[in-house]
Order: sequence, then C-alpha cells, then structure tokens
Amino acid sequence: MEITNVLFSGVGGQGILTSSRVLALAAVHAGLDVKMSEVHGMAQRGGNVDTHVRIGKEVPSSLIPAGGAHFLVSFEKLEALRYMAFLRPDGVAYVCPLEIPPLTQNLKKDGGYLKGIDGILEEKAPHVIWVDAPAMARELGDLRMVNVILLGALSRSLPMKEEDWEAAIRERFPAKVQEACIRAFRMGADHVASNH
Amino acid sequence: MRKLMLGNEAVARGAWEARVAFGSGYPGTPSTEILEALAEHEEVAVQWAPNEKVGYEVAMGVSLSGHRALVTMKHVGLNVAADPFFSSSYMGVNGGLVVVSADDPGMASSQDEQDNRFLAKAAKVLMVEPCDPEESRWMAREAFALSEQFDSPVLLRMTTRVCHQTGVVKPQEREAWSSRGYLKDIPKNVLLPSHSKARRFKVEERLVRARGLSEASDRWNPILKGSADIGIVTSGVSFGYVREAMPEASILKLGMTYPLPIERIRLFASRVKRLVVIEELEPYIEAEIRNAGIPAVGRELLPFTGELNLPLVEEALLGAPRHKVTVDLGGVPMPTRPPTLCPGCSHRGMFTLFRDMKLRVMGDIGCYTLGALKPLAAMDACMCMGASVGMAEGLEKFGGPKEKGKTIGVIGDSTFFHSGIPGLIDMIVNRSEATLVILDNRWTAMTGGQPHPGTGKDIRGNDAPQLNVAQVCRALGVQRVREVDPFDLEATRVVLEEELAAPEVSVVVAVAPCILGARLKKGEAVQIAIEECDRCGACIRVGCMGIHEKDGFPSVDPDLCTGCRVCAQVCEKGAISLPGVGRA
Repeated sequence: MEITNVLFSGVGGQGILTSSRVLALAAVHAGLDVKMSEVHGMAQRGGNVDTHVRIGKEVPSSLIPAGGAHFLVSFEKLEALRYMAFLRPDGVAYVCPLEIPPLTQNLKKDGGYLKGIDGILEEKAPHVIWVDAPAMARELGDLRMVNVILLGALSRSLPMKEEDWEAAIRERFPAKVQEACIRAFRMGADHVASNH
Repeated sequence: MRKLMLGNEAVARGAWEARVAFGSGYPGTPSTEILEALAEHEEVAVQWAPNEKVGYEVAMGVSLSGHRALVTMKHVGLNVAADPFFSSSYMGVNGGLVVVSADDPGMASSQDEQDNRFLAKAAKVLMVEPCDPEESRWMAREAFALSEQFDSPVLLRMTTRVCHQTGVVKPQEREAWSSRGYLKDIPKNVLLPSHSKARRFKVEERLVRARGLSEASDRWNPILKGSADIGIVTSGVSFGYVREAMPEASILKLGMTYPLPIERIRLFASRVKRLVVIEELEPYIEAEIRNAGIPAVGRELLPFTGELNLPLVEEALLGAPRHKVTVDLGGVPMPTRPPTLCPGCSHRGMFTLFRDMKLRVMGDIGCYTLGALKPLAAMDACMCMGASVGMAEGLEKFGGPKEKGKTIGVIGDSTFFHSGIPGLIDMIVNRSEATLVILDNRWTAMTGGQPHPGTGKDIRGNDAPQLNVAQVCRALGVQRVREVDPFDLEATRVVLEEELAAPEVSVVVAVAPCILGARLKKGEAVQIAIEECDRCGACIRVGCMGIHEKDGFPSVDPDLCTGCRVCAQVCEKGAISLPGVGRA
C-alpha cells in the first residue's frame, strides 16, 4: 500500500488550506484516493498551521506519521523547521524564504528572529529546496500566487500529470484568475526543473 | 461520481440526500461547516440559533411537524442542549431528527475533552459514528431513516479529524421521501410524569429493537475477516489507523456505537486469540465489552488523553511505530507561535486597558479568550459559554474590599445572546455591583465569522432582524448602560472607571465590527519616529503581529498593520502616528 505523504506548514492566513485542497483535487483528477486533514478554529488566528495530504491507491487515514512525510512544503522558515521531524530520512523540504516573527519572539529583549535559521534548516533537513515564491509572485504582480508557485515546485515530484493539476486549479479558483494561477504554477515547476 | 469533500460538507450532503427540511445549530469548532454547507442548498431552511438548546428545540418542532430536521453543535454545545436531548428521547420523533455532536479529542479548539458517546448512552439515544467523509455522507443520510424506524433522535457523533478530514465521497441521488404530516399524540409528546412513566418503557423496548439491528447489521457494524491471531474492535477515526497499522488483522468496525452489538462482539472475540479495543478518548466500548465478561485489552495500550494517530496505534499493536524520526531538533531554541488577536482587532485595546488598570477579569468563550495570553495576560478565569457574567457577580460579592470596583465580566456579543442574558438578569435582581463589558463586534468571530442575532444577516447573507445589545440590556432593567469606541482608549478608560465605581450593576458595550467578519478594508499602517522611541516596549506589549522588535527598536509590518492606533495610544513618547495625521 504505497502512500505519498505531503505536509504543508506555515502561519494561519497564508493560503495553506488552498494549496492542500488543490493538491487533493489534482489527485482526484488523476483517479487516485486521497485523504487530507486540516486545521480550523483557534489555530487559525496567527498561530502555526499544518495540513496533511496523503495520496495513493487506497488511503485509510488522514494524518501523516512523524518520520513519514515524503515532502514538506513550508510557507515560512520557522514553520519549516518546526515540522522538520515529520520528514523521512530521504524526504525533501520545499521552503519559502519568508520570515514572520512570532509574537513570543517579539517579547524577548534581543528581539528579531531565530538566528542562523537558514543554516539550521539546511543542517537538519535531509534535503532543502528553496523556492522564493514571494519574489516570483511579485514578478507576476500578484502576491496571492505564492501558494500555486509552491505547488508547481512540488508537482515535479508527484505522480499527477500537468492536466490533472490544471483541472484542479480550474476547479478551485474563479475563472478570472485561473490563467494567472496556471502561469504561476508553471513558474514554480520550471524553477525546480532549472535549479535542481 | 467522485467528489472531494470535507467531512462536515459530507454530513450536509447526506442530510440533503435524505431530504432534510431544516437545519439549525450554533457555531462551534469543529462542527461549524455543516450548516454552512447545508445552506448552499436553497431548498433547505437553514438558520443559526442563539444557542444549541434553542436550535435543538426548533428542530424538535420541525420533527413534530413530520419533516426531517438536523441540529449541529460541538461537544460542549450538547451540554447546553442536554435538557431537550434527554427529554426528546422519551418523546421520540415524527420526522427524523439527527443531532450532530462534534467532539474535540486533543482540545484543538475547546475547553474540555468530554467524550459524548456517554451522553448517547445516558439519554438512551441511538448513536452512529463515521470514520471518514464518505461514511459521514451515508451515515448522515441513513440516520434519518433510523430515527423514524426506532422513534428516537439519532446522535451522529463526529470528532475533529472526521469533521475536518477531506476525502473522496460518492454522492447519491436524493431519497424519495415526503413529510408524514403532524400527528397529535398527547401521551407521547406531553412529558407529564404519568406519560413519562409509560414512555420510559417505550424507550427500553426501542433499545431492544435497535440492539437487534446493531447485532445483525453488516452495514453498520461490518467484520473485516483477517488473521485469527488478533481481533480489533474499533470505531470512528481510529478505524483508519488500525487498518493502516495492521492490515492483516481481523477487525470489527463499529458504525453504530449505541446500542452496542455485544453478542456480535462476543462471537467475533471467540474467533480470535486476542481481542484489542482501539478507541479514542475514554474506554467507552471496552468497558461495555468487559462488563459483558469478554476479555479484552485496550486502554492500557493507549494514552488516556489526546487524539490517536498512526504511530500511537502502531505502538499499541506492534510495540513500536513503523516510521523512525531521524531529524533531531534538540538544542534548537524553537519559539512557539500561539494564536493571537488579529492586527486591527477591536478587542486588543480593551484588554490592554484591563491589564493596565489591573482589573479582575472574568472572561468568556470567543476570540477574546486570547486576551488571557501574554503579553496581554488580562483574564483571570474562563469556563464555559456565558459564565463570565455569573462568575463576575460571585467574585465581586465575595472577593472582599480588594475586588470591589475591580471585578468585571467580559463577554462577546454572540456569547451574550447565547447564554449571557440570564446571568445579567441574575446580576440585576440580586443587586450585583459588578460591571459587565460586552465586546460587540457583530460577528461570531472565532468560528470563522458567522452571523448572530446582533449581525442583521442570516446564514445566507440576507438581511435579517437585528437586536441591539445596549437596548437589550436597558430593556432588562440595567440603569447604567454605556457604549464606547474600543479604539479610543482614553475615553473608554474614563467610562470603565465611572462604571466600576457605581454601586450598582452597569454594562459597558464596546462597539466596533470584527475586521474579518465585516470584511473591512485594511487602513494605512502607522509610522514610528525611531528618534523619539525610548525602547520602553509598551507598543510591543499590546501583542500585535503588525509590530515587532527589530534590532532593539519597534518595527511596523506595513502589510499587516491596519492603522488601528492602539499601539500609538500606549506610546508615552508619542512616537507612533498615522501618516498625515497628528501623533496620539
């Protein structure tokens, strides 16, 4: 029973739920089974959030076991590190180089962000692929494209075909942004293809 | 057809397929999306109730009319609706009545971890438990027929990971079903003691019949044949973990968990060497099995609190989890990231004042409970919906001179309509001198922005009658009712001081819409004149994501800051201002 596990992490409000849903839809379009677990309620108010997506021929449960994630897609660096232990020894982390200081960090007199986080991430993660999705989204003129860019980056490692992804994007987004989303998705995919 | 659905959406789909005529409930994580999804079907009457008890009672009236009704709530909501829940068990139904209790193992968004399977048993109400979205659909659909067949409400017991699990659902056509019409039946529906005594026997007869179905049904309680070495009894979300941890095991998957099919379990146990019960939270199934004299283990293999997951179930069944954690984060000083009030939230200024005025704050359930967290830390107690009012009255009366003029109850508007009003009546008639602060942001915000009686909108966004919080308080008989702007800290402080000093009950209503609920456009960010900053940290201590310390000085994130000016008003140096506006 082969199941591919993708864990998304970030800060409430970053569009993590949307990304996970598009991935799950792409799996359905590819004729696969999928289960996904998401976070609602209290956790959404600026706290850390994670969603679990599991894809396979048959997927009995929705939570990824610690040490069992093939891919970690993180919208924020600290939240990449927090969930790193979910990765398998051969797992890959796609990380957005974005820093959102948590309030608890604010309160410390030395302030700022976790020092040297890039190095810690690269040391701890089995394999890191940096995806500067915010920069690419700015290039496209729409910051909301961060989530589809990250999905594009991830897509090269998953069994779904390009048409499954396109169908998923068309199902999830309103008509007026679909083309822009598909362009952004391809940009993420090309980024990984050309740099790694 | 295969369709991707959230568990909660699937419940709504199943109810719609069963031609449910009516849905009600009160928002509460993890149940909220059920009614929102049901409201997308225009042919169903769907409405939010001020609380779960009222929602239940309206649904009961719909059932009496002969139509099918759904009522949804989180686990603690069923405590509020427990009175009609227990009594409706004696009345039975006319049109099918399905009650969703969404439990929250692990307390992701709740104040307790109660296992509502015990409530079904205590009320003698049939209970079914789905494990994933597709089961949520068909069990919701068939629960209505069960309700009519056994003349009982049916509890559809969900948990967070079933409600908020997305998966592939196979939607079906709608049932051919029509209302039975109203049937007058005084001995059945008027619960006078003499009638209830007779109904008590009907309840027991019904349970015998229902147990017969539970024992015989391969649909509700299927046996998955496997190895004879181990037999696992499980239900709900735990089934998926069991299936994945031990695909070779024999499994009795219980979809109907009240009444339990004890003889089916006994037969299953007789065919395996060892019987293990895997269930989340309390040993509800296991206790029944042991009471029936069937040897079983379970509880000692699992933690008594929190959600189950695959590694925990693997550890219970195999001795150790299959996956090893190889990334070691030991030694990394990982900061936590707790949820916080949103930038621009109308509660932030109020809790900043409560903290700085050193008030004794009896809090309540809502976004504003986050006012208890650092750096605000401005709440002394929070128990359950509506409790702030009574607790403030009690503490103020018996707290001695130190609490006099210091004690306030703090409650949101939705919570006030839910169950705060009887507490305020108690304050009035029993001559409380405490002050009640009502945070009137016009939305049930924590659950994602649902309308309530003060919003002026219904669940579909159409205009609806709107209650005014201050008017309600005056109508009850409160003489001192003041409205304040929670973004004007100084004016609010003066009003709070006056009302705390008044030797009678007073109500202060802080009126400003929820920035998310009302979909307000973000204002321009504040600016900091760094040369005037003395690094006192007061602006950081309002606890806002929009302002943080950078290289020893406060720094504003212009993408997050909404320009609400709470931080500007606590800055004694006047170093923070809006562009083009004078400093505070």
